[in-house]
Amino acid sequence: MPASARALLSDLPKGHEFSSTTFTLTNDDVARYLDAVEDSNAVYAESGLAPPLCAAARALGALLELLELPAGTLHTGQDLDVRGGVAIGATLTLSGRVAQRSERAGVVIISLDFELTPAGSSDAVLSGRTTVVVAGGTP
Amino acid sequence: MSSVASITKQLSQEQVQRYADATGDHNPIHVDEDFARATPFGGTIAHGMLTLASVSEMMAAAFGEAWLTRGRLRVRFRAPARTNDTITASAQEQAQRDGMRVLAVEVRNQADEVLISGTAEAPAA
Repeated sequence: MPASARALLSDLPKGHEFSSTTFTLTNDDVARYLDAVEDSNAVYAESGLAPPLCAAARALGALLELLELPAGTLHTGQDLDVRGGVAIGATLTLSGRVAQRSERAGVVIISLDFELTPAGSSDAVLSGRTTVVVAGGTP
Repeated sequence: MSSVASITKQLSQEQVQRYADATGDHNPIHVDEDFARATPFGGTIAHGMLTLASVSEMMAAAFGEAWLTRGRLRVRFRAPARTNDTITASAQEQAQRDGMRVLAVEVRNQADEVLISGTAEAPAA
């Protein structure tokens, strides 16, 4: 099912696939991220590879642009698999889907699966699952 | 075999704001003190991914580029870090499996409350 603009996360059914989107993980993106998390390890600049969580945060930010999240939505779980590394400056295609959805006592639990694939490649370099709890489902 | 040293840091509201600006996640539970005061948390909390960044920082320090190319993470957020909390990320060797070192990782606050727990994996050699 194609995504509509700014869909309400808690309304999306299991299996919903988001429209793929493309972004570039710039040197500035990574520098701002490292400043924010206060990680001064030189390995990122030396290897030319982004912190996995930086790429994941950028991916989640891109998904958030497609979604409306109720205030107070809580992040309850995070899985990540790196497969080769995310190059700083890479243009990446993000694909994502609702992998799981359950609802109980007015609380919706949703897991989103996502993958990042560099331009010109068919192999994802990072995949993840993000689980959030959204208050405001059907009581 | 490289050791994994723990990391301790304090999370300020200013840092949480910087993280929100860097990632575009301006959920009011993190950045709006008036909104957050009315929630069960009674104040702003850090982004889970900001708290989790201490685990990735610890793994990058121990495993270097190997963490950036083949790292794996499976964690659950057990409780939020409140702004001004001092958090400590630590790791305990669990096993080696399929060429990967498997570590139990967690993040605790200054009251020794577990905020994040799970596993991290990095190439054994």
